[in-house]
Amino acid sequence: MFTYLLIGGLTSGSLYALVALGLVLIYKSTTIVNLALGDTLMIGGFLAFTFHVLFGLPYIPSLLLAVACGFVLGALTERFVLRRIINASMLPMLLATLGLSFVLRGTGRVIWGGKGDFIPFPPLVNTAPIVYGDMLILPQQFIVLGSAITIMAVLGVFLRTTRAGKWMQATADNKKAARLVGIPVERVYLYTFGVGAALACAAAVLMAPITMLFPDVGLLLFFKAFAAAILGGLTSLPGAVIGGLAIGVIETMAAGYIDTSLQDVAAFIVIMFALIFIPNGIFGIRGIRRV
Amino acid sequence: MKAFLGNRAFLVYLFGALAILPVIANPYIIFIGNLILIYMILALGLNLLVGFAGQFSLANAAMFGIGAYGAGLLQVSAKLPFWVALPGGALIAMAIGTIIALPALKLSGLYLGLATLAFAQFTQWVFFNWRPVTHGAGGFAIPEVDFSLLSLRSDLGIYYVSWLLAIFLIALAWNAMQSRIGRAFIAIRDGEIAAQALGINLFKYKTMAFALSGFYAGVAGGLYAALLNYVAPDSFDLFQVVMQKTMVVVGGLGSIVGSILGALFLVIANEGLRQFKSAQEIAFGALLLLSVLFMPDGIVVQIRKFLPGWNERFHAKPPSALLGGGTPASPSPADGIVDKREPR
Repeated sequence: MFTYLLIGGLTSGSLYALVALGLVLIYKSTTIVNLALGDTLMIGGFLAFTFHVLFGLPYIPSLLLAVACGFVLGALTERFVLRRIINASMLPMLLATLGLSFVLRGTGRVIWGGKGDFIPFPPLVNTAPIVYGDMLILPQQFIVLGSAITIMAVLGVFLRTTRAGKWMQATADNKKAARLVGIPVERVYLYTFGVGAALACAAAVLMAPITMLFPDVGLLLFFKAFAAAILGGLTSLPGAVIGGLAIGVIETMAAGYIDTSLQDVAAFIVIMFALIFIPNGIFGIRGIRRV
Repeated sequence: MKAFLGNRAFLVYLFGALAILPVIANPYIIFIGNLILIYMILALGLNLLVGFAGQFSLANAAMFGIGAYGAGLLQVSAKLPFWVALPGGALIAMAIGTIIALPALKLSGLYLGLATLAFAQFTQWVFFNWRPVTHGAGGFAIPEVDFSLLSLRSDLGIYYVSWLLAIFLIALAWNAMQSRIGRAFIAIRDGEIAAQALGINLFKYKTMAFALSGFYAGVAGGLYAALLNYVAPDSFDLFQVVMQKTMVVVGGLGSIVGSILGALFLVIANEGLRQFKSAQEIAFGALLLLSVLFMPDGIVVQIRKFLPGWNERFHAKPPSALLGGGTPASPSPADGIVDKREPR
């Protein structure tokens, strides 16, 4: 029971970690929390569904296509919504991304069905569980976990070795100094939003075969990812990964040992308590309060 | 001129029209009129907290729900009459609003917004899952309120109760915002530390803002429950949050008349789109997005350009400052060279 729950928790946790990485990446360089990220994820998942199930493309190309579409969607978000208010205070950014999230959700509902329509996504591999000792493992979970780790590794390499990745890190570190050395900060914002959204879409495509797709899935995933990001301190990429895995394990354990309905509420409880008691998270930098 | 075109005159016309509406309209229009009155109370309560006191809370839909469940359950489970249950529900919402204020003393901006959003989702989860008390996803029915003493139909009775309460609560907000309390709220909004330096008790006034806002939402919730004779958790979801936020932003943050206008327009728009959930979501989301981008001061500021007497004493400058307005503050040389990770 314990190992089964642990593996299940780590699997869903790895998906939360991907979305949380997107959130943290965007937050670090722009100090915006993109409330629309969850709904970008939903759109990405449905696009993959369209490519894979409706157009009959194989899984890997559909994944890549959906991730590419996610990048474009994220970049468009930055270009047409947030660039106008990038210098404003927190409130308009939150309101604008909240508005955007509803536009995306409504659009998803128009295109891919009404509330409560759960669209199944065919499984990738044989769904029969592997029995190993007294453990019960679904092969699907291994694929998800492995792919999530691969994507995180690719992100790490991208941030460390490529020019765009280094720009993103420099901008996140110090916007003004980055501009001084000639980094096009606006374009970096564009990339950052694109990469963040692409990560979310990758999570959506990996998630789709295990759970189901529905237009309201975005909000749920956003909260879990946000809880993960908060646990990790909101500015730490490794923190986001560890936070994501922790949230996944916490909610699965709570659902398995206490009550199944706790699965969806665990994240909210973690957010409330984490914000009140450890607002800087586990790996966060203690904020300086400025007058 | 000013006396006939100004915002107070407008309120008199509006409530005059709403008073005679039941005489000339059919029950459906009366129902819409009643919804408008309820949302006026809601939007006003939210504006006191967000627009005046500057506390970015997303828990208003939860307070609305707590008021509705509180009033409804006091009638159904505790068998109390409506006249006790309505203030009872409002007081429960006010008490919970006060409890939310405690973390708000530590959090601000982004963190407060997301903590309250998490609280809102948590509340909805409680409505769904605490079945022995809240009756779960199906909700529960409430008996019609009896107005036979006044020989009024039940829906007309609720309508006029809402009308009276809306007027009372608007007057209360209007006067409170002109008083020491309103000035303290605005000082906190414009600069917490500066307000503290002026001797404003942050603990007292932030708690007061949350309690007041919770009370307004609770009253609105009790009226909503009595209007529908039915309470279900679906009514208090995130769409409700967005709808109320849109009303306040479209009307004008920090403007009392703005909230009233926002509620008036958006309830009508929402009714027009009721058939299509996705169209509602797109319309309200886009409206919120576009008004933040292009009209951050709200509709009140647009009206002020054409009509005299629409200045509100404390709405003269603030909302665009609150919203950032697109003009970045002049950067100081040291700004940004230091590693600054704090959310703005």
